[in-house]
Amino acid sequence: MRVALAEDGVLFREGLLMLLRATGHQVVCSASDGDELVALLSTQPADVAILDIRMPPEPDGGLITAERLRAAHPEMGLLFLSHYAESHYLMRILEIGTERIGYRLKEKVGSVDVLTDTLTRIGNGEIVIEPVLAKRLIDRPRADKKNIVAALSARELEVLGLMAEGRSNIGIAGQLYVTPKAVEKHIANIFTKLGLHLDTAARHRRVLAVLTYLRSQRTEV
Amino acid sequence: MVSGSTNGAGDCPREPPAEACRRKESNQWLRRRLLQRQLHDGAALRISALTLRLGLLWHRSPPDGQAMQNCIDELQNELHTVLEELRDIAAKIYPPLLDEAGLGPALREVAHQLEAPITVVASGERFGAAAEGAAYFAVAQYLAALPAGAQPTKVMIRRDNDELMLSVSDINACHAELMDDQIWPLGGTVEMVDVVDGDRPGAATITVRIPCE
Repeated sequence: MRVALAEDGVLFREGLLMLLRATGHQVVCSASDGDELVALLSTQPADVAILDIRMPPEPDGGLITAERLRAAHPEMGLLFLSHYAESHYLMRILEIGTERIGYRLKEKVGSVDVLTDTLTRIGNGEIVIEPVLAKRLIDRPRADKKNIVAALSARELEVLGLMAEGRSNIGIAGQLYVTPKAVEKHIANIFTKLGLHLDTAARHRRVLAVLTYLRSQRTEV
Repeated sequence: MVSGSTNGAGDCPREPPAEACRRKESNQWLRRRLLQRQLHDGAALRISALTLRLGLLWHRSPPDGQAMQNCIDELQNELHTVLEELRDIAAKIYPPLLDEAGLGPALREVAHQLEAPITVVASGERFGAAAEGAAYFAVAQYLAALPAGAQPTKVMIRRDNDELMLSVSDINACHAELMDDQIWPLGGTVEMVDVVDGDRPGAATITVRIPCE
């Protein structure tokens, strides 16, 4: 995969470049801030841009850079890396896009399996959400939804967790060693219990529905 | 200084702190934010980079090196746990989200975790590390103490000239003093207006004002 990288921490940037190259990816360019990366990518194509959220232009240059990249190259995948898995940032990322986009903790992409899985899924048009964050949203949903989430079966909770990570039905089936048909059934049950409308045709909208359900603020007046 | 129409908390208004005290208090908050950033930019970043080096080692391990790969996986998980502990400490010193995104998002994150019905309305303006830090900890402490069945609480945050103005609805008046303890050293004030409701004696809206950058 052709990858571009912007990260202001030298140690982390160099480490990730080495790992990307070793695992067979082509690093088309790397930069220490977002503006530099946008300039570099105006002349050379990339499949995925990896962005540190907290980098120049301060304070969260990764998000601003992503907005500019998505506008200029709608087909380019975006992977955000952060030292923090915050639902605040997740919601801002989802405003930028819900396809070909991902958010992972920095230390997690040190696993070759995680790095490969993340880049492959983004390349396939999927959304990838840090499991640490997905799990936190499921374990601690908004208080008014706690009882409803708690009423799900253990299996349904597992499926909900994998949905919140952005995984496709086939992806969920693979993780749980069950058939996609069984996953569909679980998802239908979950959506009924949560009172959400099921639209299997649009996976990213399904992820959004689940995340919004777990996270959404009470109506603000 | 607590002032207002409710008896009890407002009986003995405190003198505003001397300028030197305010400066000292303000510097404490700056120091806390600096420590949090140092954790992030120093130790945490180095540990994250270590996981990448381990990944490289994993990738280069021999084809029959399953045991070694498992060992590396375990080390990477352990480093993740270390980082989670550092994050926990950093958040207690000065929440990174407060530093990066401000009072509204940081308090919304607190509200999100609590049983009590809380709404946070914020303009997105920034007020400086000291005012934001003091306001955050004062309000977060109060919100955390709310019982699950509490009246809906609304926190509103905005700028009024050179002051951070924060109001909390339906607060029990006895909490004003606790907030005042945290706000006063920065030259802040706490003002209460009673809620006229026979069913809820002692309920008030508190308005906190803190001089800011």
